Amino acid sequence: MRESGTFGWGNPLVRWSVVSLAALTAVSMLVGFLLLPSVHDDFSAQGLWASICRAAGVPADWGRGGAAQPGPIATTVVLERSMAKPGSSDAVGRGATLALNCTMCHGAQGMSVSDAPNLAGQYPEVVIKQLQDYRTGKRASSIMEALARNLSDQDINDLASYYAYLPKARTAPTTYDESLPALVRVGAPLRNIAPCVSCHGGIDQKLGAPWIEGMPKGYLIQQLKAFRSGERRNDASAQMRSVAWPMTDAEIEDVAAFYARKASAGGER
Amino acid sequence: MLAHFWVAFVAFFGALVLGAWQMYIRSPLATWVNNPEHYYRSVTAHGTVMAYVLPTLVAMGFGYAVTELALKKRLIGIAWAWAGFWLVMAGTVMAAVTMALGKASVLYTFYPPMLASPFYYFGVVLVVVGSWIWVVLMSINLRAWKKEHPGASVPLAMYGNVAGAYLWAWTSLGAAIEILVLILPASLGLTDTINAGLARVFFSWTLHAIVYFWLMPAYIVFYTIVPRAIGGRLYSDTMGRVAFALFLVFSMPIGIHHLFADPQVGAGFKFVHAAMTAMVSVPTLLTVFTIVASVEIAGRLRGGTGLFGWVKALPWDNPMMLAVTFSFVMLGFGGAGGIINMSYQLNETIHNTQWVTGHFHLIFAGAIVLMYFMAAYELWPQLTGCAPLSPRLVKAQVWLWFVGMMILSMPWHLVGLLGMPRRMAYYDYSHPEIAPQAWTVTASAIGGFILLASGAILIYTLATARRAPSGQAQPFEFSRPAHPGGHTPVALNGLGLWVAMMVALTVVNYGYPIAQLAMLKEASVPVIPIGSR
Repeated sequence: MRESGTFGWGNPLVRWSVVSLAALTAVSMLVGFLLLPSVHDDFSAQGLWASICRAAGVPADWGRGGAAQPGPIATTVVLERSMAKPGSSDAVGRGATLALNCTMCHGAQGMSVSDAPNLAGQYPEVVIKQLQDYRTGKRASSIMEALARNLSDQDINDLASYYAYLPKARTAPTTYDESLPALVRVGAPLRNIAPCVSCHGGIDQKLGAPWIEGMPKGYLIQQLKAFRSGERRNDASAQMRSVAWPMTDAEIEDVAAFYARKASAGGER
Repeated sequence: MLAHFWVAFVAFFGALVLGAWQMYIRSPLATWVNNPEHYYRSVTAHGTVMAYVLPTLVAMGFGYAVTELALKKRLIGIAWAWAGFWLVMAGTVMAAVTMALGKASVLYTFYPPMLASPFYYFGVVLVVVGSWIWVVLMSINLRAWKKEHPGASVPLAMYGNVAGAYLWAWTSLGAAIEILVLILPASLGLTDTINAGLARVFFSWTLHAIVYFWLMPAYIVFYTIVPRAIGGRLYSDTMGRVAFALFLVFSMPIGIHHLFADPQVGAGFKFVHAAMTAMVSVPTLLTVFTIVASVEIAGRLRGGTGLFGWVKALPWDNPMMLAVTFSFVMLGFGGAGGIINMSYQLNETIHNTQWVTGHFHLIFAGAIVLMYFMAAYELWPQLTGCAPLSPRLVKAQVWLWFVGMMILSMPWHLVGLLGMPRRMAYYDYSHPEIAPQAWTVTASAIGGFILLASGAILIYTLATARRAPSGQAQPFEFSRPAHPGGHTPVALNGLGLWVAMMVALTVVNYGYPIAQLAMLKEASVPVIPIGSR
């Protein structure tokens, strides 16, 4: 077989193809940017140009008449990955000195003997975020708010470095089988409860999610109930409030017992 | 070429095992593995091999074979072809090791802000770069042939082959930019935020047209091997060229139909992309018409008469006849489902459900991969000098693949309509609301095992092919057109016009969304490295 014709604008096939593609593009643009927006009130309310901009995806104020009401702000802390870096030995040393103030409740080595949370081995960004939230009053506690108010940013970072440096309440390795509470392993998909292990360690550990293995049971129950009632609301995207809200008392008890049971090394209290 | 096919099929078999395992542990037949990370690790490996490694290697190996067989001359640049092959190999191994270590459980679509280890992305980049060598070689070989044969029609197989190569070169650019400019800096720890919306738009640039790159080898088989294999004639050579050219133009700038639920892209662009997606059905329907007409010629040549008499006269014991029929049935169901996916409004009902999983398994793993098998069966005597493969084994394999794929994907379509989300590692079958759907997952798992059996037969058939006694294979022939001696319009003998239209349409359809998102500061979000602690 041979080819026929000459290539160029004079070739009807070439001309026809280019013109029809241009026409198709123009028609679909007209429909997509003019016709369809014109039949939607929220697109066409502010005139033709605004409706074209909306169809093109230009961010704009979509509310009618004035700015939207800002909702309550859960926290002013923005978690950044730099917060998760281990501190220098100077920072650890300064933190250790400052931490003498904390031993009454959180234990001499960061292992609590009361129902206050363990801090030994806690991820640094967790300590930073919670202390800053206490300082701004986003997390409520008469004791912690008063203590945090006097801490500078540097103090908070140093404390975080110190506690991250201490050995964790390392617990027996967990095998992920049916002996674990279902909420810990798989959550409850139909109730929108994510499994604990997908953020709090085990399968994945997400930035800002604390190490909770070996935490006092009373503390875990208290916090889950506070999230459930909305009394505690410093989780930036309401993730813990959403998880705790559908949980029953029995489930809270079950999950807290599981994490507390993975108790501190040697089991001494 | 043999190396390409072997690596492709061995990797394919490994991924097939993973796929069957995923269905099994997720079904009520097995107790749950209790670790979704293992599940997603497996899904990532399955997707990466099936979507990147298998089709790329098949397209490359088949492309080299088509070049030699259709142009009837040695491939220019064999050393470069080996370099490309080893790059693909290195990339595959690198990505596979990273995935096996659990450092890359981000699924093969690797949507940011989820981030894997940089080695996973390096692996993917190596696979793509290796395939770019193939693109260049295809272009060089076509040019050289045209210079030696001025004014002659490029053989249809080579025309489609180079169209596929150009399509791949342009479409892989989107993901390449996404990886090099956005993902790698974040994955290497140079930045801790990423423009996730922009990354998704770039990925959509690749994500849809890559499907047509996968499809090209299958379409080349439809047009240039099927009519010959069943004793017919190709109804129209020109129609084949039109279909390949239209694929080039329309398959590329339509990817935003994957982002219908994404708020960062404007509704106007979503509509334009949906309209252009509808245009892709044109070359598919052209192909179905042309191939059915070619098959009818075969039926009538065998003495079939009357309105449907030719259907009965077809060589139904011929494996290729069986394969093309099954392929069209799956293409038909999958294509009809695809029209629902691409409709801006109907999409809402099935977006991110198992329907989508069913759709792309039916089209790609069903209609297309079945033709990959047939391409391998056809080429094997050429590549290894073996006797023609046992038609009994080939037919058993094709039957099992078809039946398995239908049993696998039809329940997915059904539960997708009922709202079962995809990419779920775990279903709580004890819950009364989803317990009635549990049987569908069991059914899909059974389909998965049938596919696994089919894959095993494929490997067995290819591995045990015996040398032909004569030692010399029959010369390979492509199908002959029904009207030999016709003329090929000059615009359909080259690809320049169509490539230019493809690029221009991409700039129109993607230019603004990309520029706008790139300039939007608020679009950057913190990265989420997977498995970093």
